[in-house]
Amino acid sequence: MSTQTAMTIRAGAGAAALSDPLAAGWDALPASTLPLEPTPLDAQPSAYVRRSWEDRSHGAARQVSVSAATVGERLLVRLRWETAAPVRAPADINQYPDACAVLFPLDGTKAEIDTMGSEEQPVCGWHWRAGSAEAFAVTAQGLGTVERLKGHDLEATGEWSGGAWHVTLAGPLGGSTPPISREAALPIGVAVWTGAGDERAGLKAHTPTWHSLSIGAEE
Amino acid sequence: MSSATANGRHQLAMVFDLNKCLGCHSCTVACKTQWTSAPGMESQWWNVVNTMPGRGTPRDVFSHGGGYDAAGEPIPGVLPSSSEFGQAWAFEQTSVFSSGSGVRKPMHPLENDGTSPSWGPNWDEDLGGGEYPHSYFFYLQQVCANCNKPACLEACPRTAIYKREEDGIVLIDEDRCHGYRFCAEACPYKRVYFNEQRYVAQKCISCFPRLEAGVAPACIRQCPGRIRHIDYLDNEEGHVHKLVNVWKVALPLRPDLGVEPNVFYVPPLLPPPFAENGEFDESRSRAPAEYLQELFGPGADEALATIQQEREKVAAGGESELMDLLISRDWNDLLGPFTENPAELERPPRR
Repeated sequence: MSTQTAMTIRAGAGAAALSDPLAAGWDALPASTLPLEPTPLDAQPSAYVRRSWEDRSHGAARQVSVSAATVGERLLVRLRWETAAPVRAPADINQYPDACAVLFPLDGTKAEIDTMGSEEQPVCGWHWRAGSAEAFAVTAQGLGTVERLKGHDLEATGEWSGGAWHVTLAGPLGGSTPPISREAALPIGVAVWTGAGDERAGLKAHTPTWHSLSIGAEE
Repeated sequence: MSSATANGRHQLAMVFDLNKCLGCHSCTVACKTQWTSAPGMESQWWNVVNTMPGRGTPRDVFSHGGGYDAAGEPIPGVLPSSSEFGQAWAFEQTSVFSSGSGVRKPMHPLENDGTSPSWGPNWDEDLGGGEYPHSYFFYLQQVCANCNKPACLEACPRTAIYKREEDGIVLIDEDRCHGYRFCAEACPYKRVYFNEQRYVAQKCISCFPRLEAGVAPACIRQCPGRIRHIDYLDNEEGHVHKLVNVWKVALPLRPDLGVEPNVFYVPPLLPPPFAENGEFDESRSRAPAEYLQELFGPGADEALATIQQEREKVAAGGESELMDLLISRDWNDLLGPFTENPAELERPPRR
C-alpha cells in the first residue's frame, strides 16, 4: 500500500532558461532527494519477464534529486540521478536507453503507485527517453496498461554531465493530465530506467510512495 | 471447408517440403519486396532460408533461449545483436565504378560502423555437413509459425501481441508496442525483428491482407519449387491436414521448444552414404538420424520411412496419395482456399 510522504518538493519561480537541465538557475532552487527502490518483480504482468529476471537485479538507480519550477504557466520538473555508464542512444537492437518519468494520480490521491493506478484510480505521467526527441505523455490504469496521449503539450530535455543525468520535463499548469494547480499540492512519483542494465517497461527503479509537490502562488 | 477445430477456431498452417526446395530464395525476395522495404526495415527478413546443418539466422539461432521448458515454464532468452542477425550492408561501390585510380578493389559489404560483416542471413550457404563423399545439406525455410503457445505473445507485458480468433495468425499491434523486445527474446526461432526507427517490434504477418482477399502469401505463390502448402489445419480434405495429421510426414521444427508451431516440415530424404565399394549403403542414412530427430522430433524416422515406402510404391508402378499430395501437379492444390490470382483482383486506387 503506497502512502504519501511528508517530503515536499517546492516549486520556485524560474526563468525560461530552466528548460536547459544544466542551467545554473536550477542550483538556486531547493532540491529534494528521493530514495528509489526496484519495482516488485512478482508484480510484472508477464511470466516470461518474471522468470527471466528472477536471477537478475533491476532498479539500479538508488536515489533521484528532484527540483521544480514554474515558468509562466508551465511546470518544470528537473530530475538528477547518477549513472556511471549512460546509454544516450542505443548502439544496437539489443541495447536499451536510459529513461525517466514522473507520475501523478489523475484523480485524487488514492491511486496505487506500485500498480501504476487502477481502472478506478488511473495515473498519468511524463516520460523521457534518451535518444528520443519526443517526450511522451502517458496514462495508465494498472501495470501493462500505459497509453501514450496524442496532442500533448509536453517537452523534455536530458543532458548527461558529471556522472549524472539531468532531465527537465515541462508541461502546462491548469491542464487535466495531470490536474496541476497552484492551489493544491500534487502527489508525484518518479521512475528511472538504467539502460545498461537492460531495464525497460516495468523493470525500473521507482519511488515506492507518493511525494508531495507544492507549487504556490505566482511570485 | 470442413468444420472448425475443437476450440471452435480455424488455425492457419503451412507445410514446407524440404525435399523440393531449390535454395533460390525467391520466397525471401518476394517477402522483402512485399513487406520490408520501408525505412527501418532494411535488415528485416521475415522469411529466411538457411542451409542445414548450419548456424542459421540469426547466428546460432537455437542457442539464444526462448520458448518453454518441459514443465511449461518460459525459458529466458537473449536478443542477438544486429550483426548476428545480419545488418543491411552498404556496398563500397565507389572504388569499383568511379575511383579512377586504376586500383581494382572488389565491391565489399560494410556494416554500419564501416567494418566487414562476420555474419548475415544464410551466411553459411551450402556448407552443410558430413565428410566427402558423404556430404549432405538441405534448405530450411522459416517464417513466423503462428504458434499455438506463442512465447512472444506471452512475454509482452503490454498485450500488444494477439492471436487472431478467425485463423490463429499471431500479429503485433504496433500502436500498442513500446519496443520493449521481450517478444524478440522469447521467440525460440528468433523471428521477431526490432525497427529502430519506429521503435516497434515487427515480424512476418502471414500476408494476412492477401489471405483476406483469397490470395496465398507472397512466399508461397512465388516459390518455383512449389514446396509450400497452406490451408486451415482442420480442413480434412486439405493437403496440410493430410500431410500433418493423416500421413504424419510433416513435422514441427524443434518441438522441444514447447511453442507448438503451425509451420510443419517434410524432412529431407537424403541419398544414403557410399559403401567402401562405391555403391550406396542403403542401410544407413547420410544425415545422422539424431540430427533430424533433434530438428523435427521423434517422428522424423517414421516420416522418412513412410515417404520412402510411398516412393517405392510409385516407382513400382503403383499409386500413392502421399506422393500425389507432395507433387501437387496442379499448383493451385497447394494453396488451400487461397487460390485467387492477385493479378486479376480489383485493386484499390494507389495512394
